[in-house]
Amino acid sequence: MNGRRRMIAAAGIFLLGSLVVSGVPEARVQETPQVALKPAPENTPGQETPAAPRPPREQMAVYVLLAWVWLSIAVLLGLLRLRVREADRVFRMGLDRAAEKTPRGPGY
Amino acid sequence: MNVLRAWIEDRLGLSAVTGFLAKKDVPRHKHTFLYYTGSSILLFLVIQIVTGVLLGFYYQPTLAEANASVVRIMTEMPLGWLVRSVHSWSATFMIALVFAHLLGIAFTKAYRKPREATWVTGVLLLGASLAFGFTGYLLPWDELSLAATKVGTDLPKALPVVGPWLTQVMRAGGDVTGDTLSRFFIFHVSVLPLAAMAFIGVHLFLVQRHGMSVPHEEERKGVNVPVLPFWPNFAFREAGVWLVLLGLLTTSAVLAAPGIGPQADLMAPAPQGIKPEWYFLFMFQTLKVFPARVLGLNGEMFAVLIMMAGMAALLLLPFIDNRPFERKGKVITALAWTGLAYAIGMSIWSLL
Amino acid sequence: MKLPYSLFSRRAFLNSLIGGWLAALGAAFISPLVKYIVPPTREPDQVSTPLADFENMAPHTVKGFAWGNKPGFLKKTDDGGFIAFVGVCTHLDCNVSFVAEQRRFYCACHEGWYDENGLNVAGPPPAPLRRLAVSVEGDALIIKKQA
Repeated sequence: MNGRRRMIAAAGIFLLGSLVVSGVPEARVQETPQVALKPAPENTPGQETPAAPRPPREQMAVYVLLAWVWLSIAVLLGLLRLRVREADRVFRMGLDRAAEKTPRGPGY
Repeated sequence: MNVLRAWIEDRLGLSAVTGFLAKKDVPRHKHTFLYYTGSSILLFLVIQIVTGVLLGFYYQPTLAEANASVVRIMTEMPLGWLVRSVHSWSATFMIALVFAHLLGIAFTKAYRKPREATWVTGVLLLGASLAFGFTGYLLPWDELSLAATKVGTDLPKALPVVGPWLTQVMRAGGDVTGDTLSRFFIFHVSVLPLAAMAFIGVHLFLVQRHGMSVPHEEERKGVNVPVLPFWPNFAFREAGVWLVLLGLLTTSAVLAAPGIGPQADLMAPAPQGIKPEWYFLFMFQTLKVFPARVLGLNGEMFAVLIMMAGMAALLLLPFIDNRPFERKGKVITALAWTGLAYAIGMSIWSLL
Repeated sequence: MKLPYSLFSRRAFLNSLIGGWLAALGAAFISPLVKYIVPPTREPDQVSTPLADFENMAPHTVKGFAWGNKPGFLKKTDDGGFIAFVGVCTHLDCNVSFVAEQRRFYCACHEGWYDENGLNVAGPPPAPLRRLAVSVEGDALIIKKQA
């Protein structure tokens, strides 16, 4: 039990650590004074809609976030696939209903 | 953990709900993917509520401050532009899924007995979603919002008898003013959420009560339709769908964040190239191309009346097509395809 | 060192992997929102105000100025210089006022008193009023955060 908990803790720390690391570039941006903002264009009447202004350094952080999101989705989809396949197998074998009814052979 | 579960069970008796969910089955056939649309709408609704509340932390719904507060959110608040972008994109995703959900139900005739009430609450929810979009669009109070709202609230005027009064109610007066903004704001954050929650409650209860409907072709095969247990088989598949949708949402929100235009000026002429949000484009284009006079009467009134008739037909579809389940409903299917083609065609035309 | 048996089952490992990664993804979605709900600090780094407004003050008199969203107080000293305070009580953040007859700052919330140099002399305030650095540049008074 002790060993299992240690491994789970290690896995959790690794994942949390990578999350924290991904947040560091973002955090650095927050510490810099807002002067780092790209200057927004002057709002004269009839001017084009100014696009969402973004601090240049924050842009890097959001691309990291995007990469992390898609990586996580890929990993989680893979793991979910394992669980779905297992659930389908269990269902086909009738194992989930075995507890309620009398045991039957597969294919019933 | 088990002690906690026992404590809750003794007081709330939730095992009735969890027991029901554990036994719930989902029919498995080639249209099973349509079952994902409903819960995905809920996912985006939750996102809307969360991001909406966050935007409300800094948004100020007054004539003087509305635009400035949105600019502040986008420039000063940490990642404010991202919160706003997610709110805007999630609205698009949600309404797209609402349309997909509606089409799926129409094609599979799942509105027939006993699911009439489910359909009616569903159409009301469609109306609520579009109302959310319409009221929310005004809140940034930029040139485009003002113009779109002026046009949108002008439409009811064409209706006989109640038209002008309806427009006055929507606009809080004859013109779009700061009062309109307040009215739209309270609808967007209070009235519509309450109404939507109520309708969703009824809709979800009815769906669980009746179970998932099965398209006719599958039932005609004569054998018991194969099923998937809801938990865990269907639920895990649904989780996968949600993950992909979240990824698409995040990508759109980050790479295509909306901007904000200059503050609305009540005296200024309408800006070039105004158009409503994409889900209103086909109606917008219909009004544009409708002849100005039809049979000697006001063309716009005709167009609005036809649109209202269409909406009424949509709402009352289960009572129009109340055939027994065995009839395939080819007419409705054809109408649904026609409607879809019309909406897509008109939307594209309006962008050209 | 090879173990004779696995420390934990494959199922447990995969479960923790799913759960942990889902939590990390969830945290990645939540963290921008958490950053968003705390707006950046609104205190200015420095405030500039025309010297003319404060030149003709008598010594030991106090005049107010705006320090961001908080009130500030400028006091003229005997030698013609200025000291500046942030006019916020160190007890529970109420705004203080200057009672000229007593040459003391008074906080009405819990009857705290500070002397004319900002030192807390009576009542609950635990610390003196916060000082700001004042300098004269040309025809403007520059008030900055103290280093």
